[in-house]
Amino acid sequence: MNRTDNLIGSLRFQWTGEEHSLSFLVKDIMEVNGFHCDGEGCAEEQEEEPTALRLPRSKTETSCSIIATPGADSAAAGGSALREQRVSKSTPAMLRLDSLKKNRPPFPWFGMDIGGTLVKLVYFEPKDITAEEEQEEVDSLKSIRRFLTSHTAYGKTGIRDVHLELSDLTLWGRKGNLHFIRFPTHELPAFLQMGRDKHFSSLHTTLCATGGGAFKYEDGFRTMANLQLLKLDELECLIKGVLYIDSVVSSGPPECYYFEHPTDPERCEQKAYNLENPYPLLLVNIGSGVSILAVYSKDSYKRVTGTSLGGGTFLGLCCLLTGCSTFEEALAMATEGESTRVDKLVKDIYGGDYERFGLPGWAVASSFGSMMCKEKRDSVSKEDLARATLVTITNNIGSITRMCALNENIERVVFVGNFLRVNTLSMKLLAYALDYWSKGQLKALFLRHEGYFGAVGALLELPNPS
Amino acid sequence: MKLKCSRKPAFPWFGMDIGGTLVKLVYFEPKDITAEEEQEEVENLKSIRRYLTSNTAYGKTGVRDVHLELHNLTICGRTGNLHFIRFPTAAMHRFIQMGRDKHFSSLHTTLCATGGGAYKFENDFRTMADLELLKLDELDCLIQGLLYIDSVSFNGHPECYYFENPSDTQNCIKRPCSLDNLFPMLLVNIGSGVSILAVYAKDDYKRVTGTSLGGGTFLGLCCLLTGCETFEEALEMASKGDSTNVDKLVKDIYGGDYQRFGLQGSAVASSFGHMMSKEKRESISKEDLARATLVTITNNIGSIARMCAVNEKIERVVFVGNFLRINTVSTKLLAYAMDFWSKGQLRALFLEHEGYFGAVGAFLELLKSSDDA
Repeated sequence: MNRTDNLIGSLRFQWTGEEHSLSFLVKDIMEVNGFHCDGEGCAEEQEEEPTALRLPRSKTETSCSIIATPGADSAAAGGSALREQRVSKSTPAMLRLDSLKKNRPPFPWFGMDIGGTLVKLVYFEPKDITAEEEQEEVDSLKSIRRFLTSHTAYGKTGIRDVHLELSDLTLWGRKGNLHFIRFPTHELPAFLQMGRDKHFSSLHTTLCATGGGAFKYEDGFRTMANLQLLKLDELECLIKGVLYIDSVVSSGPPECYYFEHPTDPERCEQKAYNLENPYPLLLVNIGSGVSILAVYSKDSYKRVTGTSLGGGTFLGLCCLLTGCSTFEEALAMATEGESTRVDKLVKDIYGGDYERFGLPGWAVASSFGSMMCKEKRDSVSKEDLARATLVTITNNIGSITRMCALNENIERVVFVGNFLRVNTLSMKLLAYALDYWSKGQLKALFLRHEGYFGAVGALLELPNPS
Repeated sequence: MKLKCSRKPAFPWFGMDIGGTLVKLVYFEPKDITAEEEQEEVENLKSIRRYLTSNTAYGKTGVRDVHLELHNLTICGRTGNLHFIRFPTAAMHRFIQMGRDKHFSSLHTTLCATGGGAYKFENDFRTMADLELLKLDELDCLIQGLLYIDSVSFNGHPECYYFENPSDTQNCIKRPCSLDNLFPMLLVNIGSGVSILAVYAKDDYKRVTGTSLGGGTFLGLCCLLTGCETFEEALEMASKGDSTNVDKLVKDIYGGDYQRFGLQGSAVASSFGHMMSKEKRESISKEDLARATLVTITNNIGSIARMCAVNEKIERVVFVGNFLRINTVSTKLLAYAMDFWSKGQLRALFLEHEGYFGAVGAFLELLKSSDDA
């Protein structure tokens, strides 16, 4: 089934009558190209005249003829009594129209990142739905929209991060809100069941998915919910997602930030950072495991290395050492603990600094090094162990990152991934460590949408056929 | 390796490396003592010699590694055996006490010591046993000690070895190698913590970096996770366990390989990654946990070592330190990792005297020093 047929087919399914489908199409095409459609008709954004109907101007001039078709419902909000349908006589414009038809995906618009621990979902909620569109909308689509936007929790483990919602976003000619939702990967079967129950497959929408799970669960999606995944590479999506989000966040809190005086509780400040000329950039993605990428331009990057000591290690070890069960519990404990009771510091071995090689007494010489001694084991608390685990994993990532930055000759390091979610402790530690050990050469940067960039990148692939 | 021997220092000849976890002691037992010399020998010197050479265990925790003894070594005109002794740093005060009881200070010998403890315990030596330490840098001693032992060889055998076919568990064999073209080498010292040095020549090296996830981390975590108490117990457990029950592998996330970036399904994506699941936690054994801890720490060191080797453009990576003592799981894992991830570009080398080079280096300094008594 070719995509164009699919597109028009869906529209027909949603709308009754050909006129509607065509006028809808034209309006949207024009909006994609910067034309604003209001109650008066469509106009080019830059121009004042609201009633002029114009085909999107391509770079090469085209001549067009106009065919006027009366709109069936003149009372429709935003609808005008007269909608003109422009058909271009010239080939480039026709091709353009065709390609635009192909590029407009049908709703719902999702991007999915199925990671080792969490599934990240981004959902675009259109806010510019006309009464007409709404009327034509299939029930399953409507119910999906309502379910997602009227809840902030789904089942026992699904969460919508409302504070991360991006409002009034314009995407492919539609205006709406971008929502950020997550749930544990082990709940995927329940999610698939829901997809099946809500007849998601009947919406003929492409489900763009990235992360290992897009490969691992591809068959599961197909057999359990009759859904075909468009599988995308996670690192590719990560980069696209980062660049996109940073470019569209124009109001509210800045997307990119850093810490000034990270270890001084009195003076520590979060400050905005302008990521406009980001290259080259070292991107450190801390999920269950860690990938480190050197990004030279929007289309040129390489995976430098990775480490298996990531967020999954922190959580796994914490659960074992302290009996906790969730990431939030582990972090809460870590906040209360003292890692220096668990670790062996340079001063524990040297009695002070190891001056010869510039190692201060407070530096950790051996993580968990005091735990080989029974008395010490008996004297530490679960909180101390949680803290030591956090510090150990974080510092190891910082150390490896620093080596990569040095070797790749890159000064800017951006940390992303859900290990840093609600984890200011690690962020500050990374900020401090990078600054200290590089003698101020390196700068640690963070992004508000932390672990969602892969899902955003997947969403952005929606208009491109596989 | 020729030593510049100034006036011979008085016996006994010791070299000491006081580390974060273990104290390493090398003791030179002269075997060419003339009857005259023996007659002149003071009592406590004789008793020290007898005590050290007639026992292989000292107190509850001191051990003499007999299999490492160097026989018939001629050094600075004397011939004898070089002994290798170790005990936990936690027993340091008892050791100092023993030095006092045996009136060590009356022997007016210089006690050459390296490692952090040479600084940390300096005052204790002075106040408790009236002994003055000659403090030396641990990395200087490490390199000098290593070069010396390699030059005298291990009782006629090579000190250095590597693994052939490290990726093949059936055909993986230990092979001797000569450190002919020693330099440049990346020296990875895995003690309580890890130091990584780039060594370009006998007197030209730099400390590239280090990591705090070392032998102490392995032992500390093992004790916490499994209830074991010693390094030997921890290794014993690890040899029986299966870390893949504990770690989340690439295939657990991808369903197979992550082909795009050449990550095999069997590679670890997230160490201990399965342990966030209650069911998984309940289904694994202590042995699995011990193995996972060993594998995690070892692979992390291997990964960091590899990055350094690539950046410093050095192909030879020599691993030393007592983390590798009786630890074939780690040595083979390091050999495999270096070979595999570098596609055969890097080679992991190991040395029989593992963690004693610092103490040997300190011992050598004794012979170079112009201090007599």
